[in-house]
Amino acid sequence: MMRLALPKGRNLPTTLEALRAAGLGLDGFGTNGRKLWSTVVEDDLEVLLLKDWDVPLYVEYGVADFGVVGSDVLDEMDGDLLVPARLREGGCRLSLIGPEGSLPAAGAQIRLASKYPNLARQLVASRPWSAEIVRLSGSVELGPLLSLTEVALDIVQTGATLRENGLVELEVVAEVQPCLVFNRASYQRHRERLNELVRNLEEKGQVI
Amino acid sequence: MRVTSAFPTGVTALLFEEAAARRSYEAVATAELERSGFAEVILPILDYFEPYSALVSRQARDELYRFVDRDGELLALRGDFTPMLARVLAPRAESLDTPLRVFYRGDRVRYQEERVGRLREYYEIGGELLGVTGPEADAEMLELFLRLLQLHTGVELRVVIGFAGALDETLAGRSPADSAEILAAIARRDRRAARAAGDILLEVVRDGAPETREALGERAAARLGELERVCATVGEHFVEGDVSLAIDLAEFAEETLDPKVSRSAETIPYYDGFIFRAYAAGTALSVGRGGRYDQLFRRLGADLPAVGFSISPDRLLRSAGS
Repeated sequence: MMRLALPKGRNLPTTLEALRAAGLGLDGFGTNGRKLWSTVVEDDLEVLLLKDWDVPLYVEYGVADFGVVGSDVLDEMDGDLLVPARLREGGCRLSLIGPEGSLPAAGAQIRLASKYPNLARQLVASRPWSAEIVRLSGSVELGPLLSLTEVALDIVQTGATLRENGLVELEVVAEVQPCLVFNRASYQRHRERLNELVRNLEEKGQVI
Repeated sequence: MRVTSAFPTGVTALLFEEAAARRSYEAVATAELERSGFAEVILPILDYFEPYSALVSRQARDELYRFVDRDGELLALRGDFTPMLARVLAPRAESLDTPLRVFYRGDRVRYQEERVGRLREYYEIGGELLGVTGPEADAEMLELFLRLLQLHTGVELRVVIGFAGALDETLAGRSPADSAEILAAIARRDRRAARAAGDILLEVVRDGAPETREALGERAAARLGELERVCATVGEHFVEGDVSLAIDLAEFAEETLDPKVSRSAETIPYYDGFIFRAYAAGTALSVGRGGRYDQLFRRLGADLPAVGFSISPDRLLRSAGS
């Protein structure tokens, strides 16, 4: 029986929709419920509900055979995973945010808040300004809002939180999509079944 | 001073049953190697750092533990066996009685990022067949590799096989940077990137090889045909279900033979012929790997074709055997 790791955050509903369209029943999984580990006999699967940041680890270490996780988390963690497809729905943007007009000028030295220190470092390395990276674990918008930092690098979905707090999206750094990920060894052992899943997702228009 | 039982990251002790299990596997594996005509070599744990700068990739070089000793020499702990063996044997290649069959066992030490299963001190057993080229030698080593893995009884093995440079001809005409990017995407099984690069590459990602082998180009098609024969010959000697052999060119996509692409990806190609990797049920990392690396000796000025493998007994013993 294979084991699937699903993200229990904002990507869960769209992920379930895509996987169900591809033929998995995943009965009993919804946005509510607190069960973290269940067996879905009809799908011959065990399903784990994990925090986004934990999905790549569980899959890379082979505790789960495959999973779904945002490309933002994948890029930040840089693990050894197979990434055969990106899901069509559930996308958002990784953006530089701050007060209107706060995009750093060339030569500026600023502070930048982010949950993504590695991606933030890569971004700064490609810019004509420099920044001290301040790692925050939540409510990153508060960094520029309370002048802890000048700007922040964070996920923007609709932009509503930014607008409510008087911040703007200064620059889109990357498009973010939920990604289907496979453990390398699991792929070799369950190649036919995992390829069939990707084929079904493609045929049902669930991937980009 | 407070005494704790903790070791540095990536280092572990095997106690009692685990130590006995490793030694027991080591005993049967080395006996099988000796029965197959392989003689042991014992290599030092310390060497100069400098000779490896031209032999291994930048990443492998960066992972070496190095230090300056009291004589002012820059030394490195053994990060791999094969380049060290090549360094020892290349200067005496002409006086060697070939074919030469050797095996080694011991620890290699490398700085690895802190991740489960990726130890910094890592024990392995390996074999090398030197001085012989061609598919018969490749088949001999693959067969021996499988026999050694099966000494852990009941283990179910999935062995993927490919060859270096398999996709080079399909990428001809692209810039080295583009090619390196496409090969990395294929190794990740990224179907969108593969599709954008052409139907043949999508077939490789999906099925391991294109339906029509000629689509890979003349040289690669001939190599693929040879590989299929090696698989068929070796496969006959093992029970289907216990061992399954699959050709999968995507698994080894980044093993390019195009020097411009390698330079673009900042790698030094290690394998230059057939390559294989074994996965066992119950482990997330491969339990062994190997292939042909004729150019390693050539870089040291010796014309000594080489094919070999290494096995991780500790990972193998943790797999779901009986």
